[in-house]
Amino acid sequence: MAASSAPSANFRTWPIVLLLTLLSLPLVVMYIYLFVDTVTDSSTGSLIPDTFTLSHWDFLWHTKVGKPSVWVVLVNTLLFATSTTTVVLLISSMVGYALSRLNVPGRSVLLAGVMVMHAFPSVTLLIAIFVVLQMVGLYNTLIGVILVKAALDLPLGIWLMKGFYDTVPWEIEMAGITDGASRFTVWRRLVLPQVFPALAALGLFAFLSGWSEFILPRVLAPGNNVQVFSVYLASLIADDNNFDLSMFKAVGVFYAIPVIVLFVLFQRHLMNIYGGGTKG
Amino acid sequence: MTFSSKLLRATALASLMLAAAVAGAQARDVNISVWAGGTGPNDTYRVDAIEIAADLLQRQAAIAGDDLKITVTKKVYNGWDDFKPAVTLAAQAGNSPNIIVTGHEDIAPWAQAGLIVPIENYVDLDSWPLSDVYPNLMEIASYGGVVYGIPQDAESRPFFFWKPHMKAIGYSDDDIAALPERVQKGEYTLKNVLEDAKKMQDKGLVQPGYGFYPRASNGPDFWMFYTSMGGTMEENGKLVFDKAAMQRVYQFFADAVSTGVTKKNHIGLPGDQWWHEVSTGQAGIWDAGTWHYARMVNQEGLTDFFGNILFTLAPAGDGGKANTLTHPLVYVLGAGHTDEDAQIAAQLVAIATEPRINALHAIKSSHLGVDQSEGKIPFYAADRWASEATSALLPYANAMPNNADFGKYWDIMWKNLEASWTGTKTPEQAANDAESDLKSTLGDAIVIR
Amino acid sequence: MTVTPTSPADAGAGVVQPALGSRTRRLLYGSRTLAWLLLLPGLVMVVLFFLAPVVLTAAFSFTNMSTATGVSGGVYQVAPSSISRLKTALPDLADELSQPRYVIDQAGLDALGQTSVPKPLLDELAAKHMGEVFDNRRDAERMIKTLGGRPSTAVVKQISEAFNRSIVNARFSSKTALFEAIDGLGIKATPEQKETIADNTWTGWVWTTGNFERMFASKDALRTMLNTVFYVAMVLIIFNTAYAMFLAIATHYMPDRTSGFFRSLWLLPRITPPVIYVLMWKWVAWDNGFLSMLLAPFGVAPRNWLLDTGTNAWVFVILINGVVGASMGMLVFASALKAIPQSQFWASEVDGASRWQQIVHILLPQLRWPILFITCYQTLSLLASYDYILLATNGGPGGSTEVWSLAAYHTALFNYAGNLDYGYGAAMALVLVIIGITLALLYLRVFNYRALVSRPIIEH
Repeated sequence: MAASSAPSANFRTWPIVLLLTLLSLPLVVMYIYLFVDTVTDSSTGSLIPDTFTLSHWDFLWHTKVGKPSVWVVLVNTLLFATSTTTVVLLISSMVGYALSRLNVPGRSVLLAGVMVMHAFPSVTLLIAIFVVLQMVGLYNTLIGVILVKAALDLPLGIWLMKGFYDTVPWEIEMAGITDGASRFTVWRRLVLPQVFPALAALGLFAFLSGWSEFILPRVLAPGNNVQVFSVYLASLIADDNNFDLSMFKAVGVFYAIPVIVLFVLFQRHLMNIYGGGTKG
Repeated sequence: MTFSSKLLRATALASLMLAAAVAGAQARDVNISVWAGGTGPNDTYRVDAIEIAADLLQRQAAIAGDDLKITVTKKVYNGWDDFKPAVTLAAQAGNSPNIIVTGHEDIAPWAQAGLIVPIENYVDLDSWPLSDVYPNLMEIASYGGVVYGIPQDAESRPFFFWKPHMKAIGYSDDDIAALPERVQKGEYTLKNVLEDAKKMQDKGLVQPGYGFYPRASNGPDFWMFYTSMGGTMEENGKLVFDKAAMQRVYQFFADAVSTGVTKKNHIGLPGDQWWHEVSTGQAGIWDAGTWHYARMVNQEGLTDFFGNILFTLAPAGDGGKANTLTHPLVYVLGAGHTDEDAQIAAQLVAIATEPRINALHAIKSSHLGVDQSEGKIPFYAADRWASEATSALLPYANAMPNNADFGKYWDIMWKNLEASWTGTKTPEQAANDAESDLKSTLGDAIVIR
Repeated sequence: MTVTPTSPADAGAGVVQPALGSRTRRLLYGSRTLAWLLLLPGLVMVVLFFLAPVVLTAAFSFTNMSTATGVSGGVYQVAPSSISRLKTALPDLADELSQPRYVIDQAGLDALGQTSVPKPLLDELAAKHMGEVFDNRRDAERMIKTLGGRPSTAVVKQISEAFNRSIVNARFSSKTALFEAIDGLGIKATPEQKETIADNTWTGWVWTTGNFERMFASKDALRTMLNTVFYVAMVLIIFNTAYAMFLAIATHYMPDRTSGFFRSLWLLPRITPPVIYVLMWKWVAWDNGFLSMLLAPFGVAPRNWLLDTGTNAWVFVILINGVVGASMGMLVFASALKAIPQSQFWASEVDGASRWQQIVHILLPQLRWPILFITCYQTLSLLASYDYILLATNGGPGGSTEVWSLAAYHTALFNYAGNLDYGYGAAMALVLVIIGITLALLYLRVFNYRALVSRPIIEH
């Protein structure tokens, strides 16, 4: 909101800052403790940590018995999230443009359909998705999982991109076309750069959604030994015999760092659109 | 020696040599995949045992002149919730692994769906070591009179008592030593459990709600209480819902809450907190799995287990008898493979069941052995817990039935137990709801008493 | 949706169309091929992974499909479950069919004569055991193993199979095969009886409306539905709109840097992976967690605040989802407020308006459309979402926070005993799909859908 300045010079801001600070305090405390707990030990029944330790971060140097290296997991998750993001960006920007600007028969039906899809509880359709994947021969392949994951993010992506294309002044396209460029070139060269903020925001959301994905790879591609982060975390919880809450939190912080970095880098774009449609 | 048997031997020998010559000429490469669910770092011998077996079988084949090369691919799922959809869908799609390690209750639905093949088609059940597996465990691995799987491990769910607290409420050392027998004879019942738990709390030995501190999440353990109350899960291949017995189970937990010895919000307690508390004497009496011994001793620092903890069968309630429940995992064979591959997979399972190999898993993960002679192996016998728990518990162990509809029954039973425990429904309402739910869900497939 | 849905009809309205050259005109109108090219990959994906699954789910919801029946069909098998069903329908035939029997007869010997089983072995079998009957396979095989030379396991199995004179546990891929086998056993059955046998021995799924009957009869389903309505309403009203509005207005009155900080802070929960985010809340609520420790000095006994009672669980479920959900409303509302010209504020202040009056008369009217948008959009999101509840309470205690989508997940994908109930799960999913479609259509109507999807201006 860089362009916005305080609407009022007459009202004091501190009461409202104070109020919001108080309301935000629990959230801040939770995040601080999430981090502090991973680098300290404290005695039971005390909230004040007494010793500093890096032992909970040990998993970075030593691979746990019976578990893959956390770095392999990191790369897997990164690849999975990046691939789904690429597919989502590619398809949403294409379909969004067609629906916003081009002469498509049945356009309003298509748009309504996409909107309605947002309401579908995707995971409960899993068995049916399995049947479809098997029919098209993509069951038990990573490509299949990536496509399914991307498809689930498409309704949001298409609407978002369509909305952004709608705001691009049509004079830009007119200018391109009168200069003799094809419609495709106009889209690629002139329009796409205009909607970069939308692409950045959508990319961030798609990445985030891929980054947290849990059930799809394990169920739809069981033959692949691809462990992603959420699965790795779940395996830590499932391990009755060696459960270590502080290490679990450390892995969790490690898992959250990449998305928080991305968030900091792209938050300007994120703020420019609504907060996204990931469920919840 | 008769003529015919001489001739037979000659023929057999000739054919064996011929087979060896043919096989020797061409090396055989076999890929065997094995998937296991619910398998943490301590349980990897579930799949490693197959690898060890493959090594032995290869050597055996080499001696017979057969150049057999077995490659074992292992895949381990830590939990059950993603394992079960993954493995069933894979099998549906024709990508079933050769060997699956799963809970015995999966045999019925998987057999009906044709996802697994009976292992008895490929092995001689009368030969060692399969002949040496506990008969009640073999029974648990069968469905409709057909042996589908071979037990991979066994365990049971005993009751645990914190000895110092027992002493503090008036039990002498002799009383404590005699308790397991009194439980088994039905002299010490679930009612006594609640009374003693209350005494511990009244004396301030444990916090309110810690007197009786049962398992804090859904699990097979709760069927044990149903048996204690005289309930039957299955009769002649048909599920049985004994409404009065189930209501007594619901009532028991509601009573435990109303007398204050169990917390109303006990279900859903974080696992690590629960472990820590029962291992440090913060709880009086509880039920848990035998395999959790490892956790208590190794992770929670309970150095003197036997000095502090007494274990017994689950005591009887009204109308039932003392019992315990075992929930063995089994090796089953996935469908859709050539007979030859299935034959080899079955042989690997048989070899992996040999006491010495099975003991590796049993001791490492604090499970109980499946072979009757496993206790003769010094490695196993030296483990006090494994040997004591095996003899005290396993002979009295029941199991859940192998019935394709049991899962639905279980869901309804648990949902209503949780509701009466937390006070959302009265035990009577819960039993009524369970009855009507079972009727509409299972219809004729369940007998309601 | 666009940045500032101040009024949905804004998009693309009021543009005057200039005269076009003929080449330009052709280029513009000839965009149909390109449109299809751009649409095609998306359409294929949506059809494959959205539409087809929904149609299939609708079909599944009228079946009794489960792990045991499989998805792709079935066979005819006289198995324990089918025998128990047959016993009610045809008691006598059921008894006959359920006898596993192994008979050493000439037919079996002849069949084995064609195989590689050594002849002397067969001769010995014929001489010593002709006509013997065994109740089960194991006994038969024990006898076979006593034969000279101890045949190998594979040969034993081969021999016992040749004398198997029952159809128990055999799997027949067609009715004809089943009927032939029944005839082959010499069991007399009328065609109707055979059909009954076929119906009861079928292992695959069948069409049924039972799922919906079960759903409408179930008290738990009703309770789950009421839970869902409560959950959606509470999260929506308290957090997604009211609190989001408060955040937007409060940050609106702050200097840029401060407002940026608070907005980022409140966005953080949304981007934190759910497993970690929920763990933070659990750490607050556990017996030995933050809340218990904080209250200990005041004599409050430690307890599991999250699962103590149904009410507690709801408070946390709403908080957990609300804190995530508030960020979306906050951003939408904030951008709508940003669109208000500064002069309006100055003018009101010159008139001596209080801050409250400013909020009521200038800010709130501006938020009418965004509030409607958030309400509609988030209702759909909340209906379909369950991951935070799954991680936090898993529907507990005692099912008090079980919402519809979570129940569908529990039924179709996570059943502790392994027999996943696809059919009933699909029926539950279908109910959500229908509610979702109805609400979405309503939503589109409210938003004056035609204006929202007005034909592309450049195509006029």
